[in-house]
Amino acid sequence: MRFSELMATDPEAIDAAFFDELRKYYSEEEIVELGVFIGFNLGYHTFFGTLKFYPLFSPDGRLLTQAESEKIYGPAPGSLKASEPSR
Amino acid sequence: MTYVTPLPREAITDPELCDLIAQSETLGVPDELFPRIIARAPEQAKPFMRALLMSHAQGNVDHKLKEIMRILLARFAGDKYFASLRSRKAREMGLTETRIDEGCFAYEDDDKGFSEAEKCALRYADLMFLDADQVNKAFYDEMKKHWSEAQIMELGAFIAFHYGMQMFMRSLGAKAAT
Repeated sequence: MRFSELMATDPEAIDAAFFDELRKYYSEEEIVELGVFIGFNLGYHTFFGTLKFYPLFSPDGRLLTQAESEKIYGPAPGSLKASEPSR
Repeated sequence: MTYVTPLPREAITDPELCDLIAQSETLGVPDELFPRIIARAPEQAKPFMRALLMSHAQGNVDHKLKEIMRILLARFAGDKYFASLRSRKAREMGLTETRIDEGCFAYEDDDKGFSEAEKCALRYADLMFLDADQVNKAFYDEMKKHWSEAQIMELGAFIAFHYGMQMFMRSLGAKAAT
């Protein structure tokens, strides 16, 4: 989770010590898998955000129109709202 | 040296991945460092290499324009690795370092001669991670004056993917091409 957060917000903080800490829990293969996954999502979520499309399903699994989905999920993902941190 | 040690080239034996690496070396982007790192996760390496090559060197948008956009994004991402690489194909098509710098830093200047379509595409790359709120309905309406829906998706996906991989390489401390 820290890897995800820092790559987006403070990549300078990802240093040798950070990778040493990651290696206590993850193999080199898993670290690379996580890194490309994070990079991929970092790029695409920003792009998708500009397209203004919303989840196809409600939290209880109903298929939604885009207008219905916007009402449920709001104009932006919660994690992007500065006033409503996601953690 | 990157924080994750690249695999030795001779340790990569998957024929499809070797072919993708050969293609990328011919193009010049990426050089062998990126695939030698992602080859540590072999199931990830092939689709990521395919997507990187396809989004950059294929499609229906001028490759020279995408090369300028790629370098603009790498500079913005602070990724010295991808920022230092150059597409041989774009160079052979006539793209110069002067034109790259104009595209990165002065594309809005009329005397630089970028078309309105090119300005829109460069603005798209510029704003996506600088101020995504400006990439709104009005922005897409302007894009649609110059680009088809398919081209806009091609450009958007290209921007998103390359920026993501640039941030990944920056996180690994990749400083320059090998």
